[in-house]
Amino acid sequence: MASVKFDKLRKVYGKDVVAVAGLDFEIPDGLFVSLVGPSGCGKSTALRMIAGLEEPTSGRLIFGDQDVTDREPRNRDIAMVFQSYALYPHMTVSENLQYGLKKRGVSSEERSISVKRIAHMLHIETFLDRKPRQLSGGQRQRVALGRALIRDPEVFLLDEPLSNLDAKLRVHMRAELATLHQRLRKTMIYVTHDQLEAMTLSDRIVVMNHGVVQQIGSPAEIYNSPSNRFVAEFMGTPSMNMIPCTLKQENGEPRLIAKNLSIPLSKQVASLASRTEVALGVRSEDFEIGAPGIVGGVDARVLVAELTGAEKYIYLELADAKVIARAPADSPICAGDNVSLSFKPHQMHVFDGRGDEAAALRAA
Amino acid sequence: MISLSMRKRFTSVRTYLLVALLLMFVGFPLYWMLMSSLKNSSDIVRLPPVWWPLPTWEHYDELFSVTKFGRWFLNSLIVCSMSTVIAVFLGVIGAYSLVRLKVPGKEVLARSVLLAYMFPGVLLVIPLVLVFSHLGLINSQFGLSLAYLTFALPFVMWVMRDFFGSVPVDLEEAAMIDGASRLEALRDVVIPQAYPGIIATSIFAFLFAWNEYLFSAILVRDHDLMTLPPAMANFASAMDTRWGLVMAASTVATLPMAMAFAFLQKYLVTGIGAGGVKG
Repeated sequence: MASVKFDKLRKVYGKDVVAVAGLDFEIPDGLFVSLVGPSGCGKSTALRMIAGLEEPTSGRLIFGDQDVTDREPRNRDIAMVFQSYALYPHMTVSENLQYGLKKRGVSSEERSISVKRIAHMLHIETFLDRKPRQLSGGQRQRVALGRALIRDPEVFLLDEPLSNLDAKLRVHMRAELATLHQRLRKTMIYVTHDQLEAMTLSDRIVVMNHGVVQQIGSPAEIYNSPSNRFVAEFMGTPSMNMIPCTLKQENGEPRLIAKNLSIPLSKQVASLASRTEVALGVRSEDFEIGAPGIVGGVDARVLVAELTGAEKYIYLELADAKVIARAPADSPICAGDNVSLSFKPHQMHVFDGRGDEAAALRAA
Repeated sequence: MISLSMRKRFTSVRTYLLVALLLMFVGFPLYWMLMSSLKNSSDIVRLPPVWWPLPTWEHYDELFSVTKFGRWFLNSLIVCSMSTVIAVFLGVIGAYSLVRLKVPGKEVLARSVLLAYMFPGVLLVIPLVLVFSHLGLINSQFGLSLAYLTFALPFVMWVMRDFFGSVPVDLEEAAMIDGASRLEALRDVVIPQAYPGIIATSIFAFLFAWNEYLFSAILVRDHDLMTLPPAMANFASAMDTRWGLVMAASTVATLPMAMAFAFLQKYLVTGIGAGGVKG
């Protein structure tokens, strides 16, 4: 069993293109951890460094108590599922599954027992003699998973393994992955740009941007208590609404002021702000929509009402910002309506500034 | 108004006509070579020409009983096979290294492999004679096959570079994670994807060597070690050209390549196509 420890791991391409700017955290043994972030955030480079496919510029990588920084990929006891599946096209499914065992000198009898076990586990028994080109996307995905599982490695690396599947199959495979992890309890490191996958699968999420870790936490922590504006906006669909506000004192009480908005703020939170230009973040489900003129509400105009099936997304113009609120699917609200928006007071997030890096202000 | 189906039919008839013309253009010299080799000596030069002669094997008899054609044929096979095997082995490893390894200035290196093609062969042959005579490689089949590497190796490297570039890097990375070394990944996973390219480049490398005259004529003087092109040139002299013998020898000399093209056509088309598109 192996934990994975990043010790100031850094990757710089050329002289000054920083792909990963010093990862310094530990993934405990047996956890399912997702590295999530937009394209170019360094998550895949980080995964490739764990795999040994990319050499770190500096820093160390430690599996359990073993420093593996300078080890070849084959000597790290890892398995990886690639986004493209990377099945060997000239080999049958069975040969694909066996290749890793063969390279490790496992006897032919043991190999065929292992193939049967994995094929049964992943329901791929019927096409063991087929070539990868004769399989559907979902079947290829299973074979790729099987090839990783068959060697029973210490660490599983998964590089956006579901991104080539259609929406229905993706949901199905996501559930299968979660079940597999629960059964195996091995360290799994999963790279994705899909925050929904990260939220649903992971024990821990590592949010990255521009090669820097923005926040590490459980899905609930990341969603409910984002550490900065980037995390707040990246995690969640629709992303968190941001309303530019000014922090002012009125009658000795701190308030967040925007066009037709004036919201009281706790003194404790206000005292943490280093500037007056701040952003108020509210998740779409934390708005309450009512009839215009409600006491404590703010008037807003509905721009678009979008039915998604289970609910409605209501696009509104509020204090010079465009925000999205959720309403039940049978809500009569439609474009052009005037409504009143109120906020759930404990679900508001205040960010110290208006840039991506603006830190969340949170009372201790 | 011409209907769409009529227009399609007209297009396909036109295509067939063009292909037939092209085939005649390419095939006529082969037909003439074969027919001339089966004519008696007087029919070969007769006017008007004899298009469909009564076949005679006299030139083939003479070729194998009077001349050392069998020996020369074998020499050509040995030299061309040796140079092809060495060129493909080194070319595959070189091309793979240029594509996958982090070699400083690899683009310049890759382009410079084509330098040999920028000079006429005769320019290379003088330094080669000097070097080979020092190394005792004159009059040696191994020496001649090494000389052929000057054009075969750059060709193989250039074409295989495109092939390896088109093999997804994920495949060999998967193999390396599965437990293979880089060379094992190359052997087990990359090369099987590049078989069409290897077969195509092997055939062309062999063909270049098979047809090569200059290096062979200069580097090998021993009559028993000669390859086919310079040996066959001896059938023509200032006073007399033995056309029947030349045509019979040419027909036999064409056979190995014709057979290779026929049997490996599928790989050849894929090979040339894939290399061409990427290049």
